[in-house]
Amino acid sequence: MDLEYVESFLKKIVDKAVEFGFEEAQAAYSADSSMAIEILFGEVSSFENSTGRGISFKAKMNGQMGRAHTTEFTDEAIDFLLNSASDNCKVLDDEDPDFIYCDPEHSELIYKPVNEAYGKNTYKRFVDLGLSLEKNLLKSSDKIAAVDYLRISCSKGPDILVNSKGLKVLKDSDILTVVAGCRALSGEVVKSGGDFWYGKDIDLFDEKAFIDRLTSKLLPKLEAKSIKSGPYETIIENEAFISLFGSFLSNFYAYSMQKGLSLLNGRVGEKIASDCFNFSEYPMYEKAYNKVPFDGEGVLTMDKDIIKDGVFTTALYNLKSAYKEGCKSTGNGFGGTSVTNVVIKAGNRSVDEIAKDIGEGLFITDVSGLHAGLNPISGDFSLLSEGYLIKDGKVADSVEQITIAGNFYDIMLNVKEIANDTRSLPNSNGEFFSPSVYVGQINVSGEN
Amino acid sequence: MLSDRLISDIIDCGMQSGADLAEVFIEDFKYQNVGMLNGRVMKADSGFDTGYGIRLMSGTNVVYVYSNDSDEEVLMNLTREAASAIKKGDGAKIKEIEDLCRTTLSDIKKHPLDLSKQEFVDYLKQASSIMENYDPAITQSTCSLKTSTRIARIINSNGLNKEEESTRIRLAIEAIATKGNEKQSQRLAPGTLRGFEFLNEYPLLDKTRECCDKAIRMVNAGYAPSGKMPVVINNGFGGVIFHEACGHALESTSVGIKNSYLTDKLGQQIASPVVSARDNARIKGEWGSYATDDEGHESSDLLLIENGILKNYLIDELGARRMNSKATGCSRRESFAYAPTSRMSNTYICAGNDTHDDIIADTEYGLYAASMGGGSVDPATGEFNFAVDEGYMIRNGKIAEPVRGATLIGKGGEVLMNIDKVGNDLELSAGMCGSLSGNVPVTVGQPTIRVSSIIVGGRDAE
Repeated sequence: MDLEYVESFLKKIVDKAVEFGFEEAQAAYSADSSMAIEILFGEVSSFENSTGRGISFKAKMNGQMGRAHTTEFTDEAIDFLLNSASDNCKVLDDEDPDFIYCDPEHSELIYKPVNEAYGKNTYKRFVDLGLSLEKNLLKSSDKIAAVDYLRISCSKGPDILVNSKGLKVLKDSDILTVVAGCRALSGEVVKSGGDFWYGKDIDLFDEKAFIDRLTSKLLPKLEAKSIKSGPYETIIENEAFISLFGSFLSNFYAYSMQKGLSLLNGRVGEKIASDCFNFSEYPMYEKAYNKVPFDGEGVLTMDKDIIKDGVFTTALYNLKSAYKEGCKSTGNGFGGTSVTNVVIKAGNRSVDEIAKDIGEGLFITDVSGLHAGLNPISGDFSLLSEGYLIKDGKVADSVEQITIAGNFYDIMLNVKEIANDTRSLPNSNGEFFSPSVYVGQINVSGEN
Repeated sequence: MLSDRLISDIIDCGMQSGADLAEVFIEDFKYQNVGMLNGRVMKADSGFDTGYGIRLMSGTNVVYVYSNDSDEEVLMNLTREAASAIKKGDGAKIKEIEDLCRTTLSDIKKHPLDLSKQEFVDYLKQASSIMENYDPAITQSTCSLKTSTRIARIINSNGLNKEEESTRIRLAIEAIATKGNEKQSQRLAPGTLRGFEFLNEYPLLDKTRECCDKAIRMVNAGYAPSGKMPVVINNGFGGVIFHEACGHALESTSVGIKNSYLTDKLGQQIASPVVSARDNARIKGEWGSYATDDEGHESSDLLLIENGILKNYLIDELGARRMNSKATGCSRRESFAYAPTSRMSNTYICAGNDTHDDIIADTEYGLYAASMGGGSVDPATGEFNFAVDEGYMIRNGKIAEPVRGATLIGKGGEVLMNIDKVGNDLELSAGMCGSLSGNVPVTVGQPTIRVSSIIVGGRDAE
């Protein structure tokens, strides 16, 4: 859709909203064009191509912020947005004011990084890559019985925002992902496992490295056994630690604290983690694929330490939560509060070196059921996990059918060492970078 | 809305390059949500979204394109792209489009989207006010009402022309209890394919009080023990165990490519003889029901397991082609943005003969999972996990002290064989299920059951 037309349509919505009687109004357009292929049994099993779009509208009346959404670009759709948002304002009774914002010095926020490599994402290129990857995964070991899932996809789309305070935002982003899931077989034992890669340039996808990583994680599972219940000295591998820590991120949001939903409320300046733990946000982090110069409310983002040498240094604010405490937004307003690129600072030693010191323990590589097996408020968790025993100072036998259980806040204070093997996983506005973390002793349930 | 001519043009264009099925999916989705936090209305939003999906099939080769732009040029360009990507097959003859057939299993007396938002708020305030004043230990409360009407029309090259309307309401109440640094929440979330009258019949006040009592009990509870033990799982949402441990592994998405531990097991004993189970999409007014699935098949009441013997899989059109079988009317998708796949509807373990009290009395020692949280499963291996939201120890055949923080883990095949008691108190419970074709409303259910041995992931040694 022509972006100039979109911008003029958004302006029309905002102008009509002001005429309608709203005190302030904002209209945001989000679009996404994507292409994906799936490979199964040596051929393309599925091809998807799509264009999606939507308009989110919010506007203030009698101090309340009403919201509505549509996919249509018609006068009837504008009437629907205005009437619905107005009705919604009438029932809201939020005691804290919300804002539509524009910094006069930054009223035009445009971020359109040019990625020339995106043009390489053609159907043929995807099919060639997919067929080659499937063939070579199957060839990599006689224990790989099938590649059950192989999907290559790319998407890009602009976000445009216009408001009655004079703000105009235009942001472009794109991503390319490769996902594969395999089934391994040894006698009667079946195990499945997969991996994914994401980036900007299909030429940078390293097929051999991808296959090596996937198979090195999957094949040892065929020999996995449960272990006896009890406390184990434990290292949690980078990606598993990101998943665990990421589930507790909302505790760092000022909104959660103000609503009594975070145990970090009032604890800025306190020690909440061990001395070696440093957690920061770098919106324009050089290693991140997605740079984030401004947030969804039109506030410029900024670098910040969230935990410095174990001390909790700042909560994360959007405009609304900042106003409540008489401070400034930290540039974390994304339809609520959220983070951009966040980084746990790496240590100096490898997992193998740390394991050598531990002697006997556990190396957890995967945690499951995060949506159900943890309490994001109390910090308690009990999660199905996989990994390896650490025996005689070395990462050894594969382990399955165990849970690890503990409390997030206890773990943070008990961290013994951070490894140097940083990996990243995407989050909603950027990426989360973390090395593996030696968390000390943790309770394991397995065989009696 | 697309014109009949454009729909025909899309189907003609899609079939030109050798596809044997071309399908157009048109979806209108209207919704209205209201949410309260600590007694105040913090969220009220509304939406009206439209989208179009076009699917071509040639044998087991599938091309899916979608857009929410109704512009003829956009949709025809997408169709041409789809046609150029589909594997060249033998094709099929295009049949004349039949007269539109409208279906629904919604049971509506008072349509929720006809009500004012104030009526939503007034309803929620009843629950909110109880939680605000119940006990100082209840420190936060949330409640929300979500209602939606979805009209999905499916037209295909076999002449099929159907439209399914579904109107749903979901209520969610959560009470959070605090004791020092500890917080525990309890939640209830009934859902229905009925109108606002469902909410008027729902015992909201009693259920909200129960929810508060449970939250207070759990915040004062000690940690669950670790290790293998018998577990009695309460009726209703306890059925999530069957949904995760068995249901997903019966979907043709997995079985059709032999990526399920239940592949090639029809007619075999896969569960203990006390277990029978169904997937019944045809219960009028039930949260997970529908009359026509998202590829136009009539839905069904399917016997999955009878006395432990596997009787049927859940098969969509693609699965039917892969398995050389027939579709069972279970193809679903969250929205036009997903190609449909085989999914569950209202899936439950059938009632047995034991009473709840007898099952507890017959258990010397173990865990009683009074209410379950969510979970997940790997269909290839059957490995699953799910959380116990409200747990109690069973000692000497009696329910004893409350325990928190338990997760149940295991392998589906083993757990199904280890169910040794099935109660007579079948109850269904609403949930959302996420899978390849997005999040769809499903009902899980079961009577009280006992699993003779399962790993309980707790924190305390016993």
